[in-house]
Amino acid sequence: MLILPAICVVTALLLVPIGQAVYYSMANWNGITSQWVGPSTYLTEFRNPLFWRVLENNALLLIAVPVTMLCGVFLAALLHEHVFGWKVFRAAIIIPTAVSWVVLGLIGIQAFAQHGLVNRLLGGVGLAALERNWLGSPTDALAAVGVTFVYSLVGVNTLIFVTGMATIDPAIYEAGKLDGTSWLQSYVHLTLPMLRRYLVFTFVITTISAFSALFSLIYTMTGGGPNYGTTTIEFFIYQQAFGTGAFGVGALLGVVLFVILVSVSAVQVYLMRRSE
Amino acid sequence: MTAVIQQRPVRHSIGHWVTRARQSPGRIAIWLVLAIVSVGLMYPFYFMVMTSFKSETQYELGRGFSLASWTELFSSVPVAREIANSLGICAVSISCILVISTTAGFALAKTEFRGRRFTMLAIIGAMMIPVQSMIIAEYVNFSKIHIINTYAGAIAVYVAIGTPFATFLMSTYFRGIPEELIDAGRCDGLTYTGCFWRIAVPLAKPAFATVVVLQFIPIWNDLLIGLLFLQEPNVRTFTVGLGVLASSRVVNVPSLMAGSLLSTVPAAVVYVVFQRFLVRGLTLGAAR
Repeated sequence: MLILPAICVVTALLLVPIGQAVYYSMANWNGITSQWVGPSTYLTEFRNPLFWRVLENNALLLIAVPVTMLCGVFLAALLHEHVFGWKVFRAAIIIPTAVSWVVLGLIGIQAFAQHGLVNRLLGGVGLAALERNWLGSPTDALAAVGVTFVYSLVGVNTLIFVTGMATIDPAIYEAGKLDGTSWLQSYVHLTLPMLRRYLVFTFVITTISAFSALFSLIYTMTGGGPNYGTTTIEFFIYQQAFGTGAFGVGALLGVVLFVILVSVSAVQVYLMRRSE
Repeated sequence: MTAVIQQRPVRHSIGHWVTRARQSPGRIAIWLVLAIVSVGLMYPFYFMVMTSFKSETQYELGRGFSLASWTELFSSVPVAREIANSLGICAVSISCILVISTTAGFALAKTEFRGRRFTMLAIIGAMMIPVQSMIIAEYVNFSKIHIINTYAGAIAVYVAIGTPFATFLMSTYFRGIPEELIDAGRCDGLTYTGCFWRIAVPLAKPAFATVVVLQFIPIWNDLLIGLLFLQEPNVRTFTVGLGVLASSRVVNVPSLMAGSLLSTVPAAVVYVVFQRFLVRGLTLGAAR
C-alpha cells in the first residue's frame, strides 16, 4: 500500500512517456497527429550530418570531465591537509555549484566578451595573442561552455573526494611515512586507489551532467550557436521539438540520449563490481 | 555501504596554527593556493554584486554606484510574484516528493511484498531517464489534459523527476535502521503503518534534510521544465523569468546581474547551511 503512490508517479510520468518517446521516435509526429514510419527514421537521422555535428560537440565537451575531476582531486588533497580556515575554503569551493546555469550563462557572456574578464586575464599574463571574442566562433564558444562547466562542477567533485578521503584510515599513511615515501608518492599509491569508488561515481555524474544538464547554460549563454557550434544533443532535442515542431525527431534524439546515458551507467556498475 | 566517518577536528587556538605553519612551510603554500582558488571561484559573486549596483553607463565606465538597475529589474519583471511562484512550487513539489519517497522507501526496505525486487529495479531504472528524453511526450500528454501553464502540471513533472532518487535514498536510509527496532514495535502491537509513523519517520529526519537540499537546488534553478510547462508570465518561476528576460535582450547587464544575485542567494544559503546533508546524499551514490 505504501508503495502505490511512488509506482503511480514513476509509471505515469516517467515510464509511460519514455515508452511513448520510443514509439513516436519511429513516427512522423508533430505533437497532434502522427503517422507510423518504422525504424527507418533512425537511419534517416543517422544520415543527417547535423546529427553527427551535434554529437561531435558532445564528444568535445567530454574533455571537460577529466579536467573537472583532476581539479577536484587536487583541491580535495589540499583541503584534506586541514590548514587554517579550511572550512571557509571548502564553503567557497562548493558555493559555485549552487549557482543556476542560467546565472552562469549570463555571467559567462560578460566574462568571455571582447572586453571581458577572460581576455583581461590573458592580457595580464602576457598571452594577449590569445585574446578574442570567445562567443563569436563555434570552437571558441564551445571551449567557453566547457570552462563554465568545469567552474560549476569542480565544487561537487571536490566535496565528494574530501568525503572519500575522510573515510581513509590515517594509520595507512603512518606506515608509508616509516618507509620514507614522499607526500606525492603516498598520494598516488595510497590515496587514489582508496578513492576508486568515489572516482568512478564522480566520473559518472560529471559525464551525465555533460550530456543532460547544460540546457539552461547553452540557452542563456550561446543559444546553441554560433552555427550549431555549441548545440549539444539535449539542446538539439529542444530545438527540433519546440523550435521547428519536429516532435518525432525530438523523441528519437531523446531515445539516443537515453541509450547513451544507460551505457554510461552500465560502465559504472561494471567498474564498481570489478573493484569489489 | 561504506561508513562515512564524520570529520570533527578539535578546535585549535591561533597559537597552534602559527606553530604548525612554522614547522612546515608547505602548509603555508597550501593555504595560499586554497586562498587564491577560493577568491577566483568567488569572483563571479563579486562581479554580480558590483555590477548590479551600477547603472548601464557606470558599468561601461567601470565605476560609480547606482540603484537604477534594481528599480529597472523590479519594473520590468514581476519579481515578487515570480519569487512567490518559485517558493510555492518548490515547497509543494518537495513535500510531495518527501511523502511519496518516505512511504515507498520504507516499504522497499522493511516490508515483504510481491514484486519488491522488480519495483526497486524499475525505480533505479527511472533514475537514469534524462528529462529531455521524456519531456516531449510529457508535454504533449499534459497539453491534451490542459494542464500546461498550471502550477499542478509543473509540480507533477518536478515530483516525477525527483521521486526515483529520493525513494532510492530513503530506502537505503531505512535499510540502515536495525530490524530489531521494527520487531520491537511489532511486539508492542503496532501495525506496519504504526511502525512507520512511530519508529521510522522520527528516525528519518536527517534523511529528510538530505532530500530537501538535493531537490530544492534543481527545482529552484530549473529552466527547461519551467520554460515549457509555465509559459504564462503570471505562473513563471523566478529562474524562468530571468532566462526569458535574458533571451529577450531588452534589459541591460546590471539589471540582469541584480536578478542573478536575487536568484543565487537562496540556493547558496541552502547549500552552505545544509552542506552536511548534501555530502551524505552525494556519497550515498558513491557507496551504493
